[in-house]
Amino acid sequence: MAEIRLAKLAHSYGNGTNALKPLDMTWRDGGTYALLGPSGCGKSTMLNIISGLLKPSEGRVLFDGQDVTDKDTGARNIAQVFQVPVIYRSMTVGENLAFPLVCRRVPTPRIKARVEAIAERLGLSRHLNSRAVALTADQKQLISLGRGLVREDVSAVLLDEPLTVIDPQMKFELRKILKDINREFRLTMVLVTHDQNEALTFADTVVVMNHGEVIQAGTPQELFERPATTHVGTFIGSPAMNFLPAVREGDRVLVPGAGLSRTAPADLPTTDLTLAFRPEHAVAGGPLAGTVTRIWFEGADQVLALSVGDASLRIRAVAGAETVGAIVRFDVPQDCLRLYHQGRLVA
Amino acid sequence: MYRQKYLFLLPGLLVLVAIILFPLLFTIRVSFSSWDVYNPGLNWIGGENYGRLWEDARYWQALGRLTLLSVTTVLIQYVLGFALALMVWRDLAARRLFRVLFLIPMMTTPVVMSVLWRTIFHESLGPLNPILESLGIGAAPWLSSAGWAFAAVVMVEVWQWTPFMFLLLLAGLLSLPNEPYLAAKIDGAGPVRTFFSVTFPMLGAISVGAILIRLIEASKIMETVYVLTSGGPGTSTETSSYYIYIRGMRDFQIGYSAALSLTYLIIMIVALTVIAKLLVRALVKDAA
Repeated sequence: MAEIRLAKLAHSYGNGTNALKPLDMTWRDGGTYALLGPSGCGKSTMLNIISGLLKPSEGRVLFDGQDVTDKDTGARNIAQVFQVPVIYRSMTVGENLAFPLVCRRVPTPRIKARVEAIAERLGLSRHLNSRAVALTADQKQLISLGRGLVREDVSAVLLDEPLTVIDPQMKFELRKILKDINREFRLTMVLVTHDQNEALTFADTVVVMNHGEVIQAGTPQELFERPATTHVGTFIGSPAMNFLPAVREGDRVLVPGAGLSRTAPADLPTTDLTLAFRPEHAVAGGPLAGTVTRIWFEGADQVLALSVGDASLRIRAVAGAETVGAIVRFDVPQDCLRLYHQGRLVA
Repeated sequence: MYRQKYLFLLPGLLVLVAIILFPLLFTIRVSFSSWDVYNPGLNWIGGENYGRLWEDARYWQALGRLTLLSVTTVLIQYVLGFALALMVWRDLAARRLFRVLFLIPMMTTPVVMSVLWRTIFHESLGPLNPILESLGIGAAPWLSSAGWAFAAVVMVEVWQWTPFMFLLLLAGLLSLPNEPYLAAKIDGAGPVRTFFSVTFPMLGAISVGAILIRLIEASKIMETVYVLTSGGPGTSTETSSYYIYIRGMRDFQIGYSAALSLTYLIIMIVALTVIAKLLVRALVKDAA
């Protein structure tokens, strides 16, 4: 268990492009973190730097204040679970779980006790003597995780899209096990994913990345309420946030033709402005009106696509209330309207 | 319906009958005759040839020698081929160079290569003995002493066929996923443990394939023995196929050599099936 600090960390691969732009970040001991972003955004690069599989071009990695940048992967005491379940195919489940301890020359009785305890915790006890290849994908992922947990002094568990190949019904179960393990063992866990749902339900802190850069790091609530950029607003939440081109007129910013407006901060530029709000924040009835162009069924809710003046946007409403072609009246509370300049949050 | 499909199969079937089925059936029939250079023709002598074969110590010795030769050469080829493949596996630039370099022996015609090696091994004219002497090791009677001649055959076989092993195992290594290696690194395994826990088990199936193909090929060894030692000195390097060749093509005991061939064929089929099963059980541990 350790606090992980990334100090001025940056990485570029041979071709000169920055896979990871310089960043500073501290992950507290026992926390759950999710690195969220599209493919190629640098999240796996960051994970591999932490685990030591990749040496950063610049900066340092510190575990509990101790510099481990030049340390070998094995010496860092990291557990990593990969996208594809990695098992030693010629071994039994028990031998798989024991492997990291055997490599570290732990005495046999101790190994046996640890393997049994971890297998018990992960629900693998009755498979201990089965061949690991014969198990299902989610059980194999548990073995991967178990190989990390079996070491008592493990610094952190790094999860590189571990749920991608798991059946949807097992995903939920496995995510729950991961959360439980985090609570029980007080382990720092870092999850890499491109699935916002996975990130928001798993982590205390979500780090949104794009083009090798950390765009925003915060609690799921913060990311949802105040996305730092239009990219985060689009990436987090379903349906995505509404972004409407706006202009400044005097001390107000407004969306022409839509009737949507808010006060402008004093030093606000006049161009490249966007007003934004979450579909969830629209309330029924009010001064704004739009024509329903499409409806998505979402259980108790429905998502309405509206045409408001020249703009099109989406709001969330109670299911069954509206039909296509109908005029809908709605309002957006002022404290839910966000203002962006050149794609970055201003107010 | 679609009865004409058999018509399309006919050419292939005819070729099959002509080159495999007919010779096989004809050999079976010939093995029950006393067809030789004095009395050519298909008479019927029952199992006389098989009785004679049973008591032919030279045949069984040749078979034993073949077994020893095949197992030794294939084992050495496997170990060397694996080592070479591991050496050039990761480094791309070197891999391209060595891949071509290592394949040259395999691409050489066996007879030409055996003639070359016969020259190298030549005790008074060949370059090998003077080199050994200059190194202070001393000359060896390469082709005139039983043990050395057998070693010479082993060396030539290993030299020619290690590239084949190398090629198959390198292809296998290149197809391996990277994640198990990352996992082994994280789990703290050193290079030796990684090899025995990750690389070797994952190459089990390919190893069995490569070893079997080479065993089948090695059990047919003919050119090397023919050119290098002619089975000598005495019969010390004589293998089954070479002995059958002597009986059939030199002594023209066609009936008897047919019986020898058939027995050899059956022994090989049974032995290789058993070996294949044993190898799979010993090496392939990762099948789901």
